[in-house]
Amino acid sequence: MKKCVGRRAWPSGIVIFLIPLLFLSTLFPSPGVAQIREIHIKAVGGLQFDKVRFKAEPGERIRIILSNADDMFHNMLITKPGKRESVVEAALNLAELGPQLEFIPKTDDVLWSTRVLAPGEEATLEIKVPSSEGIYPYVCTYPGHGTIMFGAMYVTRGDLPDIKEDVNIPEQRRSASLGAGPNAEDHAHHKEEEVWHPYELVPPYWYRIFMPESGPASIAVNLDDSVFYCWDAGLCRLRYVWEDDFLDISEPWSIKGDARAKVLGEIVYRENQFPLDLGFENQDVAYRGYRLVEGGYPEFYYTINGIDIYELIRPLPGQDGIRRRFRIGSGADKVKLNTQSPDKVNLKSSLGTWTGKELEIKQSSPLEFEVEMSW
Amino acid sequence: MRILKWLVISQVFLIQIGCADKTAEESVPLPDTSYIVDSIAMPPGLSGEVGALAFLPSGKLIAAFRRGEVMKYDHENDEWSIFARGLHLPLGLLVRSESEVLVMQYPELTRLKDTDLDGEADVYETVTDDFGLGGNYHEFTYGPVEDKSGNLYIGLNSTSNGGVMMEELRGEINDDGLTEKGLYSAVPYRGWIMMLTPEGELLPFASGFRSPNGLGFDDQGRLWVTDNQGDWVGTSPLYHVEKGKFYGHPPSLAWTENWEGGRPMDKGVEFLDSLRTKAAVLFPHNVMANSPTEPVTVLTDEFGPFNGQLLIGEMNHQRIVRVMVEEVGGKLQGASVPFIDGGGLRKGNNRMVFGPDGALWVGQNASGWAGSSGIQRITFTGKMPVDIQNINITEDGFKLAFTTDMDKSALENPENYSVRSYFYAYHSKYGSDQMDLKDIEIKGVEVSEDGKEVRFGLSPMEKNRVYEIQLNNFQSVAGDSLSNNLICYTINELLE
Repeated sequence: MKKCVGRRAWPSGIVIFLIPLLFLSTLFPSPGVAQIREIHIKAVGGLQFDKVRFKAEPGERIRIILSNADDMFHNMLITKPGKRESVVEAALNLAELGPQLEFIPKTDDVLWSTRVLAPGEEATLEIKVPSSEGIYPYVCTYPGHGTIMFGAMYVTRGDLPDIKEDVNIPEQRRSASLGAGPNAEDHAHHKEEEVWHPYELVPPYWYRIFMPESGPASIAVNLDDSVFYCWDAGLCRLRYVWEDDFLDISEPWSIKGDARAKVLGEIVYRENQFPLDLGFENQDVAYRGYRLVEGGYPEFYYTINGIDIYELIRPLPGQDGIRRRFRIGSGADKVKLNTQSPDKVNLKSSLGTWTGKELEIKQSSPLEFEVEMSW
Repeated sequence: MRILKWLVISQVFLIQIGCADKTAEESVPLPDTSYIVDSIAMPPGLSGEVGALAFLPSGKLIAAFRRGEVMKYDHENDEWSIFARGLHLPLGLLVRSESEVLVMQYPELTRLKDTDLDGEADVYETVTDDFGLGGNYHEFTYGPVEDKSGNLYIGLNSTSNGGVMMEELRGEINDDGLTEKGLYSAVPYRGWIMMLTPEGELLPFASGFRSPNGLGFDDQGRLWVTDNQGDWVGTSPLYHVEKGKFYGHPPSLAWTENWEGGRPMDKGVEFLDSLRTKAAVLFPHNVMANSPTEPVTVLTDEFGPFNGQLLIGEMNHQRIVRVMVEEVGGKLQGASVPFIDGGGLRKGNNRMVFGPDGALWVGQNASGWAGSSGIQRITFTGKMPVDIQNINITEDGFKLAFTTDMDKSALENPENYSVRSYFYAYHSKYGSDQMDLKDIEIKGVEVSEDGKEVRFGLSPMEKNRVYEIQLNNFQSVAGDSLSNNLICYTINELLE
């Protein structure tokens, strides 16, 4: 006989229980039923519930709707106060019986539970909140998740504690980076408070990271703690320059998901096209890397139709702006540079002549020139 | 060059191989312990989430971390120093010399060179970026590993519907590789293992991978790749990967040369099933491993009696898995057993490498999933573990060899064997239950004269199934219990 392990089978007891309830509610519609409060909780990437705590009145009826917005399996168990860890341990001890039991250990410490939800699935718990005040943990007991994927239902008529001090939610959520629900206070991230590396950060330094308004292979460079730029290693060109402060990378470094680094300042210059024109009908551009040059700056290396190009971007001393050095290997008869920069940008070059925003150098490569851009 | 000096305050854990009731102590190994796990102190400020782990010719460890650092560690002097920084999610390292390493980061394979020999890389040279990027968080890149001819192999994760693709991306979009649910391959060669020739050409090598976070060659030149349970992957597998083959996750097929067009997903399970090469070893989910990582081959006798076998890290449990393979009917198949299980080992065992000290170094990671961070070291004490040395399929059951003389009375008792078998469905759904679960009858047990080998018959023996074998009450002649009692054998072919 085939013996299938039905992970998604509904316990038959629930069905029996639901039928008379449905019948009764039809006969005696109660005004209270319509007003039942709904709490929406999502299982999200990073082994987290999006809502990490919520408040409920003692004796209140609530409907908790758990949806799995992650790409892994999750369940949710609400336990008696103080029983989260022992319930997680008991779930783990189910060992090979775990899947059949939806990872729900048989103990009175589990007050309510959902089955295991596959990605995209949803489950509802309609509960009468206990009349005794207390902190009732909720937790995913899928193996490996229980130690970090939990939250707290506060059954109280009072206020919730400061989220920064709340030991009933995961430690990384006490700074509310994922948004801890309507009761959460949002604390802006201050990068000064964190040590991100085992060394002191002295500019110039840079990160390859997902950046806004750029391609997936981007490099963000801190030139001097006041001027910063984003270089696109896919298109081999400068994308934009910003001022004030560098980056907040805490999200891409702490969660699983599509987070990009946040630019902590104002973008003061955008470059919207590939600036170099070596006179070919079609320019085939290939990224080759970078090396550190004097002062510790990265000098980017790429080729245009096989011709070596080295581009170095440095701060412009005493002015708001940047200076860019281009070294062009042999093979080009002339070089044009057009940044199509806005009128506020002043342009100066060590070689060639300007016609409006376009620089033309009428000599064959190899050659080297520097362009100053100030604003 | 910035040198950071940190005293190693290593907590020493003892793995209770063969001594189930000993407690952890801070001391030299007890004589009855086979493996010791100790932790390397990490410098403050380092995330400690290890993406790559290797050794330099000098014997220094080199490791890459989640926030883009590559650090060197001199174990003798407990000194950490920085080698490279600012990389995008580095997940693999291949050492070329003391001053040159290849590093696999999200957008490219990069050669890091310290040309002025100050200890820190000053050249970051792109070796290849000839593959697509959707700008999706899930497009991890793994490797490189090298074959004997100097070809390098890298793994390209499939893109996740848990995220999106950026408006600006790298590579052409192929709608055939898209799916509404699960992971997909809409930019070039997501879900493929790629081969980089010594001439620098990146070629598609094998398709059908979902999230292949583990590539490694064994001592016979075979390429092994692990994958992660999910859509189309019923439970996490270990594949023997060969050129031109397809390993089961459909969207990547859209990039096959001369693909007939249309979404691979729409071609039907039966058709896809007929194309795929099955795993040599399946790791039953929640039983053996949930997220297997890097396969590393034991190449010496210095690490215990497992020379030639594969060790594989596991993310979700405090476990390292050991794999024994054999060829049956022209196909590779075999078994997994827990090797290190708890005893101070953390979760998140993402990268492993044998050090010049003969120890297995393990780097941990989480990256938002279950896991942890840091580096631990597993040392063989020289005491022979009481363990399964090998398992082979026989015509009517299995043959087990032990590492030491066993108590024959326990081996001879059929009640000490408990076996069940099941298979995993091949379908678009996320993961699979254990299908058609059967209790298997034990038919006859035959123990060798020296008590080092036992043959047991099973009924029925069927192919395309996992046999989960529990061994109870086994102990050595010396009275040490078997260090682990779980074996999961994947039968692809029966021995005729």
